Amino acid sequence: MLCNEAVARAVLESDAKVTAFYPGSPTSEILDTLYLLSADYPDLKMEISSNEKVALETVAGASMAGVRSFTSMKSVGLNVASDTFYTLGYTGVNGGCVLLVADDPHAHSSQSEQDGRFFAPTGHVPMLEPSTPQEAYEMARYAFDLSERHKILTVIRTTTRVNHQYAPVEVGEVKRTPFQKRNWRDVKRPYFTLSETARRLKGEALEKLMKIEAEFDSSPFNKIVNGEGRIGVITSGVSYLHTMDAADALSVKPHILKLGTTHPLPKKLIVDFITKLDTVLIVEELLPYLEQSIKAIAKDADCGLKILGKESGHLGYVGEYNVAVVSKALSSVYGVNSPIDYEAVLAKAVELKSVIPKRLPVFCAGCPHRGTLWALQQAIKGTDYVLNNDIGCYSMLQLEPYNLTDMMICMGAGQGISSGMQHVVNDRVIALIGDSTLFHAGLPALVNAVHNGHNYTLFILDNSVTAMTGQQPNPGSDFGPNKVTEIDIEAVVKGIGVKNVTKIDAFDPKPNVETMKKAISQEGVNVVISVGPCALWNDRKKRAAKITIIPNKVGKETCKSIYACVRDFYCPAIQLDMETRQTAIQTDICNGCMVCAKLCPVSAISSTGGA
Amino acid sequence: MLLSQVMGDACTRSSIKVVVGAQHGLAQRSGSISAHVRIGDAYSPLIAYGTADLIIAMDATEALRYVEYLKQGGTVVMNSRMMHPPLETAPIVKNRQEKLTYVTLEQVKEQLGKVAGRVIDIDAEKVAAEAGNPRTENVVLLGAASALSGFPIQSEPLKESVRRVVPERAVDANLKAFILGQQMV
Repeated sequence: MLCNEAVARAVLESDAKVTAFYPGSPTSEILDTLYLLSADYPDLKMEISSNEKVALETVAGASMAGVRSFTSMKSVGLNVASDTFYTLGYTGVNGGCVLLVADDPHAHSSQSEQDGRFFAPTGHVPMLEPSTPQEAYEMARYAFDLSERHKILTVIRTTTRVNHQYAPVEVGEVKRTPFQKRNWRDVKRPYFTLSETARRLKGEALEKLMKIEAEFDSSPFNKIVNGEGRIGVITSGVSYLHTMDAADALSVKPHILKLGTTHPLPKKLIVDFITKLDTVLIVEELLPYLEQSIKAIAKDADCGLKILGKESGHLGYVGEYNVAVVSKALSSVYGVNSPIDYEAVLAKAVELKSVIPKRLPVFCAGCPHRGTLWALQQAIKGTDYVLNNDIGCYSMLQLEPYNLTDMMICMGAGQGISSGMQHVVNDRVIALIGDSTLFHAGLPALVNAVHNGHNYTLFILDNSVTAMTGQQPNPGSDFGPNKVTEIDIEAVVKGIGVKNVTKIDAFDPKPNVETMKKAISQEGVNVVISVGPCALWNDRKKRAAKITIIPNKVGKETCKSIYACVRDFYCPAIQLDMETRQTAIQTDICNGCMVCAKLCPVSAISSTGGA
Repeated sequence: MLLSQVMGDACTRSSIKVVVGAQHGLAQRSGSISAHVRIGDAYSPLIAYGTADLIIAMDATEALRYVEYLKQGGTVVMNSRMMHPPLETAPIVKNRQEKLTYVTLEQVKEQLGKVAGRVIDIDAEKVAAEAGNPRTENVVLLGAASALSGFPIQSEPLKESVRRVVPERAVDANLKAFILGQQMV
């Protein structure tokens, strides 16, 4: 079972009634699994929200009204929801309310390597950290119970390598109770803070955490692996797994304290552990959260302990860890050599790999963005511009071979940044945003730009779904886990007061060049909505409806190796035949979108191979 | 991704310990993507550099891309098919007078041979077509890998897992692809 599926299973077994999400890697499969399950469990309300803040508010509201509820998001998603999160830490909740937040060390699919652990101590809520799918399942079950007993929002913190781990999971039974509406008067208590109330509630939250710390001191989620000698390791999450393998590879036996409850830290347990040691190595990815806390605990315990980790230079602050990284730190602590010289293996591999090209993520065959961005590249030729990008598949525009992004900060930032830039630069200011990101965080910025009379051109790339995270529906989609109302982007934009709004067909790139040029040259807020369905989603829909996808072919007689289908287009289905140097289409990848055929000046491309 | 799921499922149902470190997200957009399958006593979801017994690659280029994981003398089972990414095509087109070429299968095999003890390349596209479904290339390669001596999972549980994991309408072609793959080794 994938860890994310194990969490979804725990949510179901815990009889959570209301769940709400905005997708984001590495948590999206929790949402996807509950989406599938919600069809079979009418007592489980599952919603895809317009952003993480709304999702957290939805589950908090349900909890206040007395039922169990759950949401999950990536760490940068919790930034969006943090305004709500921090006050919930004061007000507390009623029904068990659990929030899973996933960090992405290495920034595999995120804009930063944010360390989400700091949300828990600053938000006055407890935090659990699993290492494996089994533990994630067990912690999620426990988190509902803990949250409900203490009336406190409970956080489960994971990282990419935990979320995306598959392993056997022993699960329990699913026993759902019928969904019962209740009366507010029966569950009512105040959920507001201000001034004196805020100060009182903060004190109460801290008292709850003291009780929880006592509970955590004997929690089975904190595990000691007994070793030999006076050297120990304190670790958590996936770092624990790397540590176990690294110690085995080096044939060393440190005492290992694996922490599963990382806020509040089980101080008594930690003091008991460290007083038997001379040296302890702290193994944790990202910031020295455990390291600095344990230094403080050790100072109070006055046990003369040597604490090693990031601040001693044994481990780094950047990127994710693996067995080689932990092994290097451990071998230095023990003064032993690793049986495998990992650095030499890596160096040799780099040399061997020098003959192969990079394979960066690209727009899929049939992706509507490819046509839109081909036209945009033509439209901006000869213009001085600044291009402010946003979060979605189109973020890939910053990668080779496009290299076409000046700015990309976070969800919805493209427009706000454009507002600032248009005050200052002589250049034309261009912003890109997808449909899902527009609904998530783009609308307030658009309102702001119209109200303040700004000058920029916004391209809304509407592909009907939240494509990058797995093609989940968004407010503009005509489907969802419930009966949905499709929000019309054009009507919204016009309703805000944008005067110049043009809708274009993403798959018809040539005429779009002039439309785009005109929009970019105009004063005021200009919006171009480029419409075309996500290829992954649309192809899946076609296959389900048994509609045959007819790929294109290149006519050997007609192709003159002009390469208009390659230049500025970069479709992964198109490569060269090295013998003839003509282009050739891989028919199992091509989805027959016809855009390359429209770009070919000699009409060499069609479903039958040329004109 | 499908193969790691099949192997994980087959291990679990054969009572063999297994942990799989998978990759989702951005890398799935025609980018390079890998899954680590650790069978037996292992904790980390990631294989340590220089310790993998076997690399199964859907594309020969991708076998070489992850060569740091292979142990000295390890085995590679790979598709001889090479999908040349736009990033490899773009400079050839832009500098056409230089007559640049794609990396070849022979080059990849030569480089892999400096670490691997055995490199098996299979035209999985052709075998998959024989099996009746071009989308079964991956299962052809799994079949081939399963026929290697010392492969830790038996064929029957693997075939059962293929049956469980692939869409119902594709089961027959996938099972045929598995058997044809076994015959390639």
